[in-house]
Amino acid sequence: MPPPSVVSVRRRASIATIIAELWDSRDLVVQFMIRDITIRYAQAIMGFAWALVMPILIVCAGLVFRVVLATLSNSAIGGASVAGLAAKAVPWAFFSGALTQATQSLLSQANLIGKVYFARESIPIASVFAQMPDLVVSLVVVLIVLPLVGLSLHVASLWAIVVLLLLVLFTTGWALILSCANLFFRDVKYILQVSLNFGVFATPVFFEPQMLGRKGSQILLALPLSPFIQAMDVAVVRGRSLLEPLALSSAGKAPVTVWAPWMLGYAATLAVALAGIGLIVFRRASGKFAEMA
Amino acid sequence: MTPYLAFDRVWKQFRRGQAHDSLRDLLPAMARRLVGRAPAEHKGPSKTFWALRDLSFEVKAGEVLGIIGHNGAGKSTALKLLNRIMDPTAGAVTAHGRIGALIEVSAGFHQDLTGRQNVFLQGAIMGMRKAEVARKFDEIVDFSGIEDFLDTPVKRYSSGMNARLGFSIAAHLEPDILIIDEVLAVGDAAFQQKAFGRIKQMATGGAPVVLVSHQLDRIAELCTKAILLDHGAVRAEGAPMECINKYLHGVAGTAAGVSSGGQICFDKVMAPNGQAVASGQDITIVVTGTANFASAPPPEGWTPAIRVRDAATAAQVHSVTGLQRGIPLPVSGEFEYHVTFQMNVQPGRYSVEPLIWDAITNQTEIVGPALPIEVLERLPFYCEVQMNSRWLAPKLAALPKNFGATSERQSA
Repeated sequence: MPPPSVVSVRRRASIATIIAELWDSRDLVVQFMIRDITIRYAQAIMGFAWALVMPILIVCAGLVFRVVLATLSNSAIGGASVAGLAAKAVPWAFFSGALTQATQSLLSQANLIGKVYFARESIPIASVFAQMPDLVVSLVVVLIVLPLVGLSLHVASLWAIVVLLLLVLFTTGWALILSCANLFFRDVKYILQVSLNFGVFATPVFFEPQMLGRKGSQILLALPLSPFIQAMDVAVVRGRSLLEPLALSSAGKAPVTVWAPWMLGYAATLAVALAGIGLIVFRRASGKFAEMA
Repeated sequence: MTPYLAFDRVWKQFRRGQAHDSLRDLLPAMARRLVGRAPAEHKGPSKTFWALRDLSFEVKAGEVLGIIGHNGAGKSTALKLLNRIMDPTAGAVTAHGRIGALIEVSAGFHQDLTGRQNVFLQGAIMGMRKAEVARKFDEIVDFSGIEDFLDTPVKRYSSGMNARLGFSIAAHLEPDILIIDEVLAVGDAAFQQKAFGRIKQMATGGAPVVLVSHQLDRIAELCTKAILLDHGAVRAEGAPMECINKYLHGVAGTAAGVSSGGQICFDKVMAPNGQAVASGQDITIVVTGTANFASAPPPEGWTPAIRVRDAATAAQVHSVTGLQRGIPLPVSGEFEYHVTFQMNVQPGRYSVEPLIWDAITNQTEIVGPALPIEVLERLPFYCEVQMNSRWLAPKLAALPKNFGATSERQSA
C-alpha cells in the first residue's frame, strides 16, 4: 500500500471562525435546549420544583457540615451564614448539574453525530444552557426567602447576574472539554462524579473563608471556582458591591479578606480562558468524533 | 461564488477493532510503553485499513455525480467525508456553498417530542433557521401527509410515518450543494414515487449533486457522470451507463472490458418499441453485434443468451439461452436477434443484457451492454409473480344481473 502523498488536513479553525459558526447555529442551540428542557420537565412529576432539589440537598449537606464544625469549636451558626450557604449552593448546583449532563451529552447523541453534520459544539453548549432555568428558579427562590428570614434585599444583588453569566461561560468551557473527553474515554463521567463529590470542599460552598484564617482563606479564594461562589455570598446576602474589598472576622480573631475586587477580574479571565480553550480543544478533536461514536 | 464540490487525492484510514476507549485501559498501556514494554498486540498484523484510496473528483453546478459500488466499497465513507462528518486521513475535501444532505433524514428526532416539535428540531439540525422552518412548515407537513398526527409524540408513529416526516423536512432544504444517500426507500410505493419526484426536481435544479445508491436505475436516470468504487479505489469513472455495466459485470464475476470478446462482439441493445412496458405485457429487445470465427471455431458449449436483472438489487430474475430456443451461435459477420419477454414481474426497473454462455462449463464468457427497462404498474400487483391464470366456471350459480337494482327498489 503506497502511503498517502498529500499532507493530512486538520481542524485548525481560529477562535473567531468557530464563534462565527456557532452564531450561525444559534437556532440549533436553542432547539437542543428546548428539547432537553421539555424532556426533563415532561419526565419529572414535580416540574420546576425539581430545580430546587439539588440546591436544597447541598444546603442540607452544608448545614450538617457546619453544625459538626460549630459543635467542635463550641460556636453558634448565624442566620446570615445559613443564608450564605443557600446563596452559594445556587452556583454550585448549577456547575455540578450542568457538567454532569454535558459530559454525557455528546456520547448519548453519538448516533446523531455519526450521521448528520452540524456544529457539534451545540450539543454540550445546549446541555449547559438547558440548566439555566433551574439556575434562575433557585436564585429567585433564594431572593424570596432572604426577606422571610429577616435579611434585606440589596441593589448589589444585581452583581449576581454578572457573576452567574461568567459562571455559565466557565461551565461551558469545561463542558466542551469533558464532553469530548468522555467520547474518547468512557470512564470520564465516573471520574467527574468523584471529583465533584470531593471538589465541593475546594470551594467556599461549605466554608466561610474567615473560618480558615489568613493563609487558608488566601488559598481558598485562589481556587478556580471560589470567586463565582464567594461572590454570591458577598453580593446577595451581605449586599456589598463586588468592586470593593470586604474583610470579616470570625470568633474574635483579626479580620480576614473574604472578597477583593481582583477576584472579579480573576473570574472573568477564568471564564473567557476556559471557554476559549474549550472551543479550540473541542474543534481539534471533533474530526475524530464520528469514528469514536 | 458558484457552488462547487471536490475531492483531491482523498485517503481515509480506519482502525479495525477497538482502540483504548477508557482511561482505565489507556493509562496502564501508556505506562507500559513508557517503561519500554509494549504489549505483544502491537506486533501483530496491521490493525488499520484504507477505506478510501486516492479518490479525486469534482462536481460543478449542474452536474450530478453518482457513486456506485458493493457494500464496503467506500461509498458511505466518501459521503461522510463530503458531509464533513469525518476528516480525510490525507487529501483535501473542498466545498463551496451550503451542503444539504438527504441522509438519515429522521436521525435527530426525539421520540418523546411531538411531530411538530421534531420538525423544528430536525430542521435546525439540518441547518435551517427557525424562521425558515416556520415559513416552510405547512409545505413540509403537507408533503409528509401526516397533518393529523402533528401533536402526537413521534414514538407513536409507524416507521413509515417517521421516514415520511423526516424526508419532507430534508426535501425542503434549499442547499447550494446536494448530497443524496439511499433515502428513496421510505414509506409506501406512492410516497416513494413522490419522494423520487422531489429528489429529481432537487437534483436537476442546477446545484452540484452527489448521489449514492444501490438503485442503479436511479443513477442511470439522474446522473451526468459516475464513479465505480471497489475496495476504496476507483475502478471506473465516466458515463453512468459505463460504470453501471462494469459494476454489473463485476457482480457476475467476469473480468472488466468483456464486451469485446475477440471473436464475438456485442454492438447494441435496443428496445425498438420503448424501454417502458406495463406489467404483464411483452417487450422486445433487439441485440446486434458482429462475429468472426473464420480462423478458429467457437468453443463447443457457446450459445447466445440474455438475462434480466432487477436494477434495484442487481439480482438476476430471468435468463434464457439460444440453445433452449433453437437459435445457433452466430459465426461470421453482423448478427441481429430479437427476444420478446412477457414481463410478468413486479413493476420496477430492470436491466437486460445479452451475453455468451458456455453451456458445458456453465460460465459467462462475454457480456454485452446492459439496457435499462421500466415495468409500469398496470393493475395493482400484490404478489411476487403473475401467473396469467385462465378461469372457467362450468358450474356456478350467480346472482341475476339486475338483482341489486331490484332489491333497492323494493326497500325504497
